[in-house]
Amino acid sequence: MAQQGNVFNIQRFTIHDGPGMRTELFLKGCPLRCEWCSNPESWTSSVQPGVYKTKCISQKKCGMCKEECPKEDVLQFVRGKLTSIDRSKCTNCLACYQACPSDAIKQWGKWMSVDECMKEIKKDLGYYERSGGGVTVSGGEPLLQSDFVAELFSRCKDEGIQTCLESTFCTEWEEAEKVLPYTDIVISDLKHMSSEVHRKYTGVTNERILDNLKRLADGHRELILRIPVIPGVNDDRENIEAAADFIIRELKGNVRTLQLLSFMRLGEEKYQSLGIPYKMEHVKINRKSFQKHVEELADYFNSRGIHCLVGTKEKQ
Amino acid sequence: MSLIHTDACGTEPFDKTYSLGYQVHHKDWSPFPRVNHLRQTFLDRPYEIDVERLRLVTEAYKEHEGSPRKLQCAYAFENVLLNTQLFIYDEDLIVGEIAAPAKASPIYPEFSVHWIIDEILHSPFEEREHDQFYIRNEEERQEILELCAYWEGRTVADLIESRLDEDQIKGSEAGKKIFQTNLYHFAGTGHLAIDYAKLLRVGYNGLIQEAEEHLANLDMRDPEYADKKEFYQAMIIMHKAAKKYILRYAELAKEQAEKTADAKRKEELYAIEKNCRQIAGGPARTFWQAMQLFNLATTLIQVESNGHSISYGRMDQWLYPYYEADMKNGTITKEFALELIEVEYVKMNNPTKLKDKGSMAVRNGRGFGGESLTIGGVDRDGKDATNDLTMLMLEGSAHTRMMNPWVCVRMHEKTPYELKVKTVECIRAGYGHPKLFNDASAIKGMLRKGMTLEEARDYCVVGCVEISLPGKEYGWHDAAYVNTAKMMEMVLNGGRCLDCGPHCARWERCGALGKQIGPDTGSLASYKSFDEVLESVDKQFEYWTNQMCSSLCIIDNAHRARKPLPYLSAFYEDSMASGRDLTEGGAKYNGIGPQASGIATCADSLAAIKQLVFDEKRCTGEELLQAVKDNWKGHEKLYALVNSSKVHHYGNDDDYADELFKFMFECYCRHIRGRKNPRGGEFSPGVYSVNANVAMGMNTNASVDGRKAGEAISDNMGPVHTDGGSHDLNGPTAIVNSLAKVDHSLATNGTLMNLKFSQEAVAGVEGRDNLISFIEEYMAKEPMHVQFNIMSSETMRAAQKKPEDYKDMLVRVAGYSAYFVELGKPLQKDLIQRTELHF
Repeated sequence: MAQQGNVFNIQRFTIHDGPGMRTELFLKGCPLRCEWCSNPESWTSSVQPGVYKTKCISQKKCGMCKEECPKEDVLQFVRGKLTSIDRSKCTNCLACYQACPSDAIKQWGKWMSVDECMKEIKKDLGYYERSGGGVTVSGGEPLLQSDFVAELFSRCKDEGIQTCLESTFCTEWEEAEKVLPYTDIVISDLKHMSSEVHRKYTGVTNERILDNLKRLADGHRELILRIPVIPGVNDDRENIEAAADFIIRELKGNVRTLQLLSFMRLGEEKYQSLGIPYKMEHVKINRKSFQKHVEELADYFNSRGIHCLVGTKEKQ
Repeated sequence: MSLIHTDACGTEPFDKTYSLGYQVHHKDWSPFPRVNHLRQTFLDRPYEIDVERLRLVTEAYKEHEGSPRKLQCAYAFENVLLNTQLFIYDEDLIVGEIAAPAKASPIYPEFSVHWIIDEILHSPFEEREHDQFYIRNEEERQEILELCAYWEGRTVADLIESRLDEDQIKGSEAGKKIFQTNLYHFAGTGHLAIDYAKLLRVGYNGLIQEAEEHLANLDMRDPEYADKKEFYQAMIIMHKAAKKYILRYAELAKEQAEKTADAKRKEELYAIEKNCRQIAGGPARTFWQAMQLFNLATTLIQVESNGHSISYGRMDQWLYPYYEADMKNGTITKEFALELIEVEYVKMNNPTKLKDKGSMAVRNGRGFGGESLTIGGVDRDGKDATNDLTMLMLEGSAHTRMMNPWVCVRMHEKTPYELKVKTVECIRAGYGHPKLFNDASAIKGMLRKGMTLEEARDYCVVGCVEISLPGKEYGWHDAAYVNTAKMMEMVLNGGRCLDCGPHCARWERCGALGKQIGPDTGSLASYKSFDEVLESVDKQFEYWTNQMCSSLCIIDNAHRARKPLPYLSAFYEDSMASGRDLTEGGAKYNGIGPQASGIATCADSLAAIKQLVFDEKRCTGEELLQAVKDNWKGHEKLYALVNSSKVHHYGNDDDYADELFKFMFECYCRHIRGRKNPRGGEFSPGVYSVNANVAMGMNTNASVDGRKAGEAISDNMGPVHTDGGSHDLNGPTAIVNSLAKVDHSLATNGTLMNLKFSQEAVAGVEGRDNLISFIEEYMAKEPMHVQFNIMSSETMRAAQKKPEDYKDMLVRVAGYSAYFVELGKPLQKDLIQRTELHF
């Protein structure tokens, strides 16, 4: 026991991932590389530094990071300001983060014990109770740290705190099985129904995911499904119809709510901080007409008898 | 009389949704065309200065120069009421202004004139950057100057200034603005709610009769016989004048009724006439008459004195019997009751107040400010007091969306769900009302003031956040603002300002003589332990609160000597019974409430000192001191660090910094509470800044929390946000947990918390329900007050660019609701910076 988890963010007062007001823990490490991902800092399992160049007060006035970095030429400066880290040389020792006085270097990920997490979680107990909220664990892919999540959720249940797992389910079913006994609500995605397209945009095929979702539905889980609606990727009629078919035939309609999340350019600054190119750079949409399009998709699902809403809501 | 379990006679649907966030270009929030019309005519009217009150008051004082002061006051009041021009506006249903046309400000020379003369000559009101007022023409300008000249040397302010000593002056607005006592130095006190229930029951005749009986029964062996005699005589003159004044309105209404060809309007004007004839002396017999008498009695308080925050008490409670009776006997419909409420709401905006430059900097906005209307809460027996009017008064607020009244909903454990929904629907409509009060901590605060439990439960809110007992408490709330961040400068720098030098206006009397402005309680360069720093804070607080409170006693005594308030005193049963004017301690409970500003600035400064200098030894005290002396120039690393997430900051649910906030909060309250005031009561501490934190910051050098010179200090109970970044990073629950670590009831003059939420965060049924849950949990943690701005920073920036489109966009300026586009630029910036909270 005494599990440790690699947590890259604890966000209190979240209202988007599960009912009511929640504390959400984001866990590091993910098998997927979705092009639209808004949490690229979750991808790798290691703790790593991220660069926020606008916050750098310049090498001339400070230079602490460079002084403390044990290697040569890892930290890269443009016009005197820290702009990036040469990831091929960086050992993620975080000496630069420790030294930086200005939040220009952020630490992505932190090993935390279940106790430490519980201490944070319990701070907002009253808010969960009054709003029907609780704790959500997200990521990254939290099931990569299933032992940690299982212990954390088990402790939450001891405290009477509702638990919600947001997962890609791109893992062995056994990993899910460790956590599910302590899980009240499950949130997952249907990113694309075609395995080939799924692999193209997320780096993995979808068979295992769909299979796991079927098992969840068979087990009558409180399941919230989401489709991140990405223009030109998964918003065509064919995919939408296939998704509806899957929900009706394979999941037997056992979905509490289907949520359509319209694409938003979120997380760009995090890509910059990690030196990873942002693949959605070129995607420009007319917000108004796109929103209308997404609402039409929701109408379609509802016409097929699936309770579907636009956004992270469960109520209209 | 217990008002719980009232039958619903005709309520609105409680879960009606109004709108989400401020909306541009709307004119018709109200279903009543009359209300929309009255509202628009109000918005379109200019802010003028009206000379009539000044003229009539001066005339009376000149005529009665040899009379005792109370009688002079009475004759002046009478002269105004018998001669002021009366107005009945098109479509209005309720009459009564403050001896000036709607939205025009009268002048109150009894309090102060020097600044009026000075500003007319040197910095005209018309040319102010904000809060402009317009003198109608050159003749009136000359007349104002001449009339004011008569008052030089005779005002309340003159008496105060003759008595303040050098040590007191150096701390006040006259010196370095460590504390600001402007409000009652230059104007009336206000900040009260009268006993409306009694007035409506007995009418002016009842009060006059009572005064006459007391006068007849005075004991000539009483050493205060003459004082009391003059008091009752003055009161009788004034209340009889009020009757005549109301009858003048009846005559005018009749005259207009006879002239108009419009049959419907004719009928309304005759009804106004009839109402006025009834309530000129008699009690209110109907809901409409109750509203009419309320409006006249209240505006006359504002004719007597320009004290602000003349509040309306628990209006849903004292007005209810009239509503209930009319509904039951079928003489009123729910719709008409609501229309009357809305008409009166619009009318409540008419009184405006010309303020001196200094006060204006502390208090942006041209209304009197602070006219609070309290609804909901528990009754005197502790049961929920919600009734139909509670709901209608919120409905009216959503339909009018104006600066006044400042609707305040009292919340308690058993507040009905329906009221919570209605409240939250109003809040998320984004027009800045209502503010919420917590019965749990407010009642505790009232008990700390020595009241009985029944009295404590009957509290209302006056002004921004001050809890007060209607008809029994003369609390002198809002008496001063203390810049704790400036006091912290003395703590850092041996009793000297950080920028002490020959450029300072006080240099010749201070630094040049080798003196410092405050006592030398040590320096950051030499403190050996953090405890020494805290001791130094305590000593500076003691010194400056001594200066401030002794100044306030002088100000209090000057009001007693020069501007007694016999008209108002009649509405206080203890004053009426004892023959003592309110200014002489006639009320049952007497307070003086000065507020601390910048507590979080001090807390974060202490956290930085504790962590960086003593715990982690990342820098020396000397370095930190030099950094703030240099306004952080050349100390960029330290500047970045103290503003970064690596340093403990208040507002993040982090005990390290929150404990220091608690220390500062308690330190201030400890030095204020228990001090005696001249009216036989005690001082009462408040912790709020309204918007004074902006002006105070302008006079404050850099601070260790990472603030640069001139930036706003922290607002109210809120966390620090500097140009270097917001210090609260963990969202609203963390802020609430932080601020709930202090016992709010210690601040018996109120605490204030602003939260700004984005529209998206409160959208939909889920957003509404989450906001309700958030408020419930907030209240359970027992802070005293909370108010919300539901508005995006983008909207505010858009309003800065196109003010003409956002003329009626209200924001909560801390306690205080004001039109955004009328605020000064620095305050607008401060509001935009206040962290916008996402769920």
